[in-house]
Amino acid sequence: MSADQEKLIAELVEKGLAGDMDPINAIEDRVLRSKAKAALAKAKRAAKVAAASAPADEKLAEEPPADTTPSDNPNQKFGKMIEDKFPGSLGADLNDTHIQLKPDNWFDIATWLKSEPSLHFDSLQCQTGMDLGDNILEARYNFHSMTHDHKIEIRIAVTRDKPNIPSIEQIWRIGDWFERETYDMFGFHFDGHRDHRRMLLPEDWEGYPLRKDYEVQETYHGIVVPKVKEGWE
Amino acid sequence: MGVVHGEEMVLNIGPQHPSTHGVLRLRVKTDGEIISEITPVIGYLHRCFEKHCENVTYDQVIPYTDRCDYLAAMANNFGYVVAVEELMELKIPEKVEYIRVIMAELQRIASHLLALGVYGLDIGAFTPFLFMLRDRERILDMFELTCGARLLYNYMWVGGVSHDLPKGFVETAFQFLDYFEPQIDEYNKLLTHNKIFVERTADIGVLPADVAISYGVSGPNLRASGVKWDLRRNAPYSIYDKFEFDVPVGDGAKGTLGDCWDRYYVRMLEVKESVKILRQALAQIPKDGDVHQALPKKIRPPKGSIYSRTETPRGDLGFYIESDGSPIPSRVKMRSPAFTALSVLGEIAEGWMMSDVISILGSLDIVLGEIDR
Amino acid sequence: MGLLENRFQDNVVVAKLDKLIGWARSTSPWYFQFGLACCAIEMMATAASRHDLERLGMMPRSSPRQADVMIVAGTVTMKMALRVKKLYEQMADPKYVIAMGSCATSGGPYWQHGYHVLKGVDIVVPVDVYVPGCPPRPEALIEGLLKLQEKILEERPLTRKMA
Repeated sequence: MSADQEKLIAELVEKGLAGDMDPINAIEDRVLRSKAKAALAKAKRAAKVAAASAPADEKLAEEPPADTTPSDNPNQKFGKMIEDKFPGSLGADLNDTHIQLKPDNWFDIATWLKSEPSLHFDSLQCQTGMDLGDNILEARYNFHSMTHDHKIEIRIAVTRDKPNIPSIEQIWRIGDWFERETYDMFGFHFDGHRDHRRMLLPEDWEGYPLRKDYEVQETYHGIVVPKVKEGWE
Repeated sequence: MGVVHGEEMVLNIGPQHPSTHGVLRLRVKTDGEIISEITPVIGYLHRCFEKHCENVTYDQVIPYTDRCDYLAAMANNFGYVVAVEELMELKIPEKVEYIRVIMAELQRIASHLLALGVYGLDIGAFTPFLFMLRDRERILDMFELTCGARLLYNYMWVGGVSHDLPKGFVETAFQFLDYFEPQIDEYNKLLTHNKIFVERTADIGVLPADVAISYGVSGPNLRASGVKWDLRRNAPYSIYDKFEFDVPVGDGAKGTLGDCWDRYYVRMLEVKESVKILRQALAQIPKDGDVHQALPKKIRPPKGSIYSRTETPRGDLGFYIESDGSPIPSRVKMRSPAFTALSVLGEIAEGWMMSDVISILGSLDIVLGEIDR
Repeated sequence: MGLLENRFQDNVVVAKLDKLIGWARSTSPWYFQFGLACCAIEMMATAASRHDLERLGMMPRSSPRQADVMIVAGTVTMKMALRVKKLYEQMADPKYVIAMGSCATSGGPYWQHGYHVLKGVDIVVPVDVYVPGCPPRPEALIEGLLKLQEKILEERPLTRKMA
């Protein structure tokens, strides 16, 4: 890579970090554009690591005293009920969009979510994973109740070194396939799952594709995997 | 009565098989002719849809969503576009909403016609397949008139649709509906009440309602088990609350509630309801309006995440989209209805014979493109 | 053909044996319906009422042992690639392959980030005709099959190949 190109990419990365993606998207040359985007992604990751290590207690000191009036939002309401019944299980403060839980007694909480008559979340709508960068993987569950017609979202964050979450496939039977797929794509490990193997990719595939730093393998059983064929680009 | 026990045998159906609706592999453990265990193996069509979504912009995702459930491409587009617009809180002009509903209902009829025709083909009836495909071609002609494509359209865009309805579309559609309604009675005479068909599908593969909800089954499969749940009625999106239509529910007319015949018949009744919705929509559609006026200059949703569902011919399709403020989505997860429908096969197909397995699989109406993504 | 033309009555035809065999083979290729994805639906539509394939002599067969042409319709993934090779080897000679759609030709819309997609089925089996399109219209598939017929007509099965 020539010196001018490096300087240009550094400028574009500066602009991209400030939130302006137009200069990068306007580049005609495909190779240069992809190099710029890769450099931007790397810079963003580095910036996030630096920000996470900044002290978090500053934020806490600024927060106003907690609002004790009950809110109508299901995530807030049920998050409070979960905290009352299973103290210490919330991983973050209550908010309107989701309930953050710790993975420790997730199985008991899940059983209670389904069996408690006023909640009765009998349908696990969607279960997915997210790679948040910073060595953190998060599993997200969307629940819905057919009887009461309310829904919540639950998120459980784990680290890459120990991605263990209790499995809930015995409570909602669709959890069986959803969890196998999340394991296949992200590399979580669902403790207690009776049939823990890959779902979509072949059994001998290496790596977990939906992680942000996934590098595709070179060959699979002798067949070349990546996109380069002779005469392309 | 003495039961003959044979040796247990492990058979393999697929991945290449004429009746598996795509590349699906079934590992079947049989005891003579009766199935003792059945395991679906999927992944032969995994085309990395979610990885593509993390590398292209929001509007470039739409052709990829087409190719997931390729039998109902308009419905997939609709589901994705509704999710992104909810995330961006966009207001859509009324004409665009009407066009979207018309296209979605036409697509519902086309998809059900193919599903029912192929189901008859699996059972062994060749003529209904040809008749239903002939009528489906007329619907595809209407799609081709509008956007130029027969199967995969890239039609619904974030904030609008790609082409306006051409001149004469409404008349053509009314002509088609007038031709098509008597055809439904003909299909019923040919296949639905046919003695052989009924014997091969009634009382087979019964899916109880609570098992269905635990497995996340939705759409016609769930309605055939007696649960009256339709997203267009219970959680309306777009302008579905303006139309009057019934939600057909299975009632075990020919056998047990929730058997294959119920699932087949609920789809047939849904086609009739779609015709009703189409007649109302075509009569009420505003004559003028620009379909491109609400297209955003840059699709850059605010930071946040959303899970939204729409009703496709196969069930409820959910999109979980997480955005980090850039034009490229951070994560798009597509929760497909056929994935949940196939997971229930292992439970309801045990104890039946080999030919019943094909019947049960056909009644679930799966599409492998959606399951494997 | 020189000496023998116009010597016999009207209902006697004289031709080379090569051409006769080519004519017989090309007008009834039975295809192996190997539908994988969206292109399979267009293949089914081509065989159905409006664009009938059977009038061209092509009958769908589900078993590779009974087929002459394998129409690979749809995306081939890594998991499926080994099975495609196996099915191709099960077909009896002479056999031909049509790659239908852009996914079978070169990976299609999934060529860039598809880690599990085989970038073109010609990596595992030799292909005779490529039909582009996503999905190709039934008319395009019929043209591909007619081109295959031309190719079969030009083959000379009885000539000894020089080493």
